[in-house]
Amino acid sequence: MKDVTITVNGETIKARVEPRLTLADFLRDQRRLTGTHLGCEQGACGTCTVLLSNEPVRSCLVFAVACDGQPVQSIEGFADDPVMSSLRIAFKEEHALQCGFCTPGMLVTARDIVLRSKDDDEKRVRTELAGNLCRCTGYMGIVSAVRRVIRERLARGPA
Amino acid sequence: MAGKGIGARLLRKEDDRHLHGRGRFVGDMAPSGMKEVAFVRSPVAHARIRRIVKPEGAEDRVFTLDDLTGVKLIRANSKLPTYKPSDYPVLATGKVRFVGEPIAMCVGDTRAEAEDLAQEVVVDFEDLPPVADMLKAREPGAALVHEQWGSNIALETWRDDDIDAVAAKAAFKVTQECRMARQAMVPMEGKGVLAEWDERQGQLIVHTSTQVPHLIRSGLAEHLGIEERQVRVIAPDVGGGFGFKCVLQPEEVAVCWLARKTRSPIRYLEDRREHLTAAANAREHHYTVTAYTDQRGKILAIDAVVHVDVGAYSVWPFTSCLEAAQAGGNLPGPYIIPTYRVHTYTMATNKPPLSPYRGVARPSVCFAMDLTIDAIARAVGREPYEVRLENLVPASAMPYTNITKKFFDSGDYPESLKRAAKLIGFEAIRERQKKPERDGRLIGVGFATYTEQTAHGTSVFSAWGIPLVPGYEQAMVRLMPDGGLEVRVGVQSHGQGMETTLAQIASEVLTIDPAHISVTHGDTGLTPFSTGTYASRSIVMAGGAVSRASKILVERIMRIGAHLMQVGQADVRVADGRVVGPKSSVDFREIGRVWYKNPEELPANVDLGGVEVTTGYRPNPDTGTFAYSSHAVVVALDPDTGVVELLDYVVVEDCGTMVNPMIVDGQTYGGVAQGIGTALYEEVPYDSEGQPLASTFLDYLLPGATDVPSIRIDHTVSPSPHTEFGIKGMGEGGAIAPPASIANAINDALRPLGAEVNRTPMTPKRVLAAILAAKARKSAA
Amino acid sequence: MKPARFDYALASGIADAVALLDGAGGLGRVMAGGQSLIPMMNLRLAQPSLVVDVAGIREMRRAELSNGELYLGAGVTHAMIEDRKTPDATNGMLPFVASGIAYRGVRNRGTIGGSLAHADPAADWPTALLVLGASIDAVGPRGARTLSLEAFLVGAYTTALESNEVLTGVRVPRLSPKARWSYYKVVRKTGEFAHTIGAAVLDPERGVRRVVLGGTGRAPMLVEAAAQRLDRPLGVADAAAILDSAGFDPVERHLHATALSRAITRIHTP
Repeated sequence: MKDVTITVNGETIKARVEPRLTLADFLRDQRRLTGTHLGCEQGACGTCTVLLSNEPVRSCLVFAVACDGQPVQSIEGFADDPVMSSLRIAFKEEHALQCGFCTPGMLVTARDIVLRSKDDDEKRVRTELAGNLCRCTGYMGIVSAVRRVIRERLARGPA
Repeated sequence: MAGKGIGARLLRKEDDRHLHGRGRFVGDMAPSGMKEVAFVRSPVAHARIRRIVKPEGAEDRVFTLDDLTGVKLIRANSKLPTYKPSDYPVLATGKVRFVGEPIAMCVGDTRAEAEDLAQEVVVDFEDLPPVADMLKAREPGAALVHEQWGSNIALETWRDDDIDAVAAKAAFKVTQECRMARQAMVPMEGKGVLAEWDERQGQLIVHTSTQVPHLIRSGLAEHLGIEERQVRVIAPDVGGGFGFKCVLQPEEVAVCWLARKTRSPIRYLEDRREHLTAAANAREHHYTVTAYTDQRGKILAIDAVVHVDVGAYSVWPFTSCLEAAQAGGNLPGPYIIPTYRVHTYTMATNKPPLSPYRGVARPSVCFAMDLTIDAIARAVGREPYEVRLENLVPASAMPYTNITKKFFDSGDYPESLKRAAKLIGFEAIRERQKKPERDGRLIGVGFATYTEQTAHGTSVFSAWGIPLVPGYEQAMVRLMPDGGLEVRVGVQSHGQGMETTLAQIASEVLTIDPAHISVTHGDTGLTPFSTGTYASRSIVMAGGAVSRASKILVERIMRIGAHLMQVGQADVRVADGRVVGPKSSVDFREIGRVWYKNPEELPANVDLGGVEVTTGYRPNPDTGTFAYSSHAVVVALDPDTGVVELLDYVVVEDCGTMVNPMIVDGQTYGGVAQGIGTALYEEVPYDSEGQPLASTFLDYLLPGATDVPSIRIDHTVSPSPHTEFGIKGMGEGGAIAPPASIANAINDALRPLGAEVNRTPMTPKRVLAAILAAKARKSAA
Repeated sequence: MKPARFDYALASGIADAVALLDGAGGLGRVMAGGQSLIPMMNLRLAQPSLVVDVAGIREMRRAELSNGELYLGAGVTHAMIEDRKTPDATNGMLPFVASGIAYRGVRNRGTIGGSLAHADPAADWPTALLVLGASIDAVGPRGARTLSLEAFLVGAYTTALESNEVLTGVRVPRLSPKARWSYYKVVRKTGEFAHTIGAAVLDPERGVRRVVLGGTGRAPMLVEAAAQRLDRPLGVADAAAILDSAGFDPVERHLHATALSRAITRIHTP
């Protein structure tokens, strides 16, 4: 067992973890933050995407012990985030979710795409989304929602 | 409620919780004291189990079938005459019949610890020759999956029209062979089950990721040998189902047994490897279709041989017979087939049991039939589009009973195809094909048209004689004391948005704003009985039941309202959640107040059922209402890599009255994406030893955002004359046509090279192999 | 799908990492970003007794350009290269290749050294760095050594690294300003491992002409006969003839020949 200090959604947590505990299982089982879902545990589906030190990562492919001293943000932690708020509205209005299982990881990835985008080019947005699998929507609503939030943000100018 | 009832593009009530990570899936639940299980699974396809050795000191944490006292073998019966049931043990006993078959259940405080234990269990096998291929399974001398059957044929069905007489006068005879790969269904959430024993109720509380909670209750009670009242099944949020989650899983039974025995909560969460290799297999069909036609390609007769690889066992309750029964019955599709002969063989192999996946056999029959249409067109030298149009059932023939006694209730199939051709720009593509593309790729355009029997009921399922036949769908509606409404249904919504659409249907009748309507579903303890969500039935059946119950409730509300206003019942109507009389109106809140809190104000002749109604519904006839669609696709194919890109995809869809067009489109997009997966990407290949070759998403490719084009949808609306509001089912439809439309487009692109593909997925390697084989044939000639 | 138990050690420096690894008696594994190792551990296909985490070693994140070469610490992530947060000496080839690896969430963690050490035959870095004529630095109990990629890449998932050696960095020769490169891979979908990769570098000023075929299921291979013909476009049939004796089935041969042909053709079409 190893002692770690991880800041989860702004709250500093001291925890004792087995080295084999992934960040995803740490969030889900120890912190009861179950919005982060597991879809493949191979880093291929993107369902478990969270921010680690402000960058999206597959939380199934990170050991919690390796996150010592770093901040983590999961879907539960974007309450005051303007881009996430816009994405939530757009996802609902564009029908970008059905069963909702991929949605939290999709949103975390989408937010990163929005922040890094200088245009709403469909092909590029689709390429950036390619690492997050959705089995329900055919990606139509997701692509529309992400492009819409990019456009809205560019129209507003840099915050 | 103006603008929020049937036909409204209402935003979904389900969304907010998921957008905030507050959905509640089985894996999100962890009652205190919960243990987790992992299964020891067979590493070999076919072997006798000589011995299972539990790790020393862990004997009480490892369970084999011998330990599972009282648990019955899973036997899904069917009344079809040649059907052979299989005894599907919850944990393998005697022998293993597929790689991934559960052999022992291991318990730990965490899943990791359960897996540690599973790794320590030693199983001693005596290898048997595997049956890895459905066609070879019929050859003499093939090993037997179930020795007592005497062969590997699980079901044989046939229909024997006199083909020879037609053949003699046919101008053309065209034979098309095709094969659909075994694939997995892959909801993003795998199967999950959490069982705990409630001492106070004397009841097993089972949270399980299912589409059919009431069926699972029956299945668990039957196989655990306890009474149905002792089981409550709750489907919380379910992360997609697609058919996989409408069958009873052996792991589900094992976990429930353990929870009951140990009186502590037990959870099993299927991981992705288990899902791909051991559980959710689907689709594997093989067809040889011979068409006899006249000079113009009009079909005179179809003669088909169908093989279905159902794996080692028959799933409960839908059985292994569903695929072949549907294949034989639905192969004629939307076309006029005057003479029809078909022979189906349902083959057992050493692979996981085949389960019904979105569309069940229909994507395969559409693939077989629509490839045949294109083959006919090539043979007679006409446009596939025209040959297809010529063979479709015309609108003037509706309603139409086809050769297999399917009753097409309404629609204009040729119009759907014509619109698809127009939308895709068919003539412009034919022009484009005359000149070579600058990048050297080949352009192809393909079509497919299907008709889909949806919400078929008692008469259809009882003919198959499976364990549970759907009947009168029930719904409960209850006016609340404050004028809001509770709707309770036994179906289950896992992405289809029924918390929204069923509220829209209730709102349409009762005029209550959907914002004040709650829909409760997926809990046997709280909802009336239903066989659940499958066969594109829920919006027709549960929607119909909600409508009927609401219609009864609205009469009762009006009677109370009329009394309160002291006017005749004939003089009132409802609008915007009020009973409106000639001069005044009463809010439903008043009706609620009077019934619940001030009954002294009720009329003497009040209905004693109050403001709560449960009633049943079944359309008449209940043979299903037929939604239909035409798909058109343009592909660009790289002849040196075999890579296919979808440039454009068009769907012209007709599901009768649309309750929520946004959700209809969403279901269609998602279905098409899955169909694209079937067409181009998804396969669990098995080697000759019966070993699965795809066990993660690195080998099993799911379409991503780059692989699904921007799909364009157009609607026609042909309401069903036989259902509430003319609604037809449509959840599965999108997935049916893409394998056929894409194959036809690829073959259209390949035509200059003389190559053809006929098996899914049409991977770059398969396309390239077809091209190289055509080249070799040419140079040999 | 959970890993078996293991011990974890955060290495304070390269020497520490080597000592930890050496003490594990061949059962230790180095973890940088973990994007190749953890999938194997989750499946229990890899069950190391000790994981030595090198992500904290600053030296391994170093990236610098000197006269003749670019040095990239093994812990440099794909995303750092993609975003050009590291210097480039390859006229844009490294950022191009980096941006095509898996997905952003993986590229944020995955490292160039980790990918090389994993030596997945379908991965991008082994092919790209081989065609660039790169070499790797490794440190073990007996000291440091530098290995050419040719010597380092032994086979599929197999390298010349000893079980107690740590791959510390990659040395990439600097391309001349007028040097040209191409990198053509065939994937069935974005982010998937390649089914074939053709890569070429033509740097007449330095007298370098290299062609590599990757994604074949074996270690990426230098194709000398194709390199000889790098001055002009190469047709698929000619490329296939070059691969005649390589032991591919006809479909694979055609696919690989196409990748070679397109890589070479693209080097001539800006």
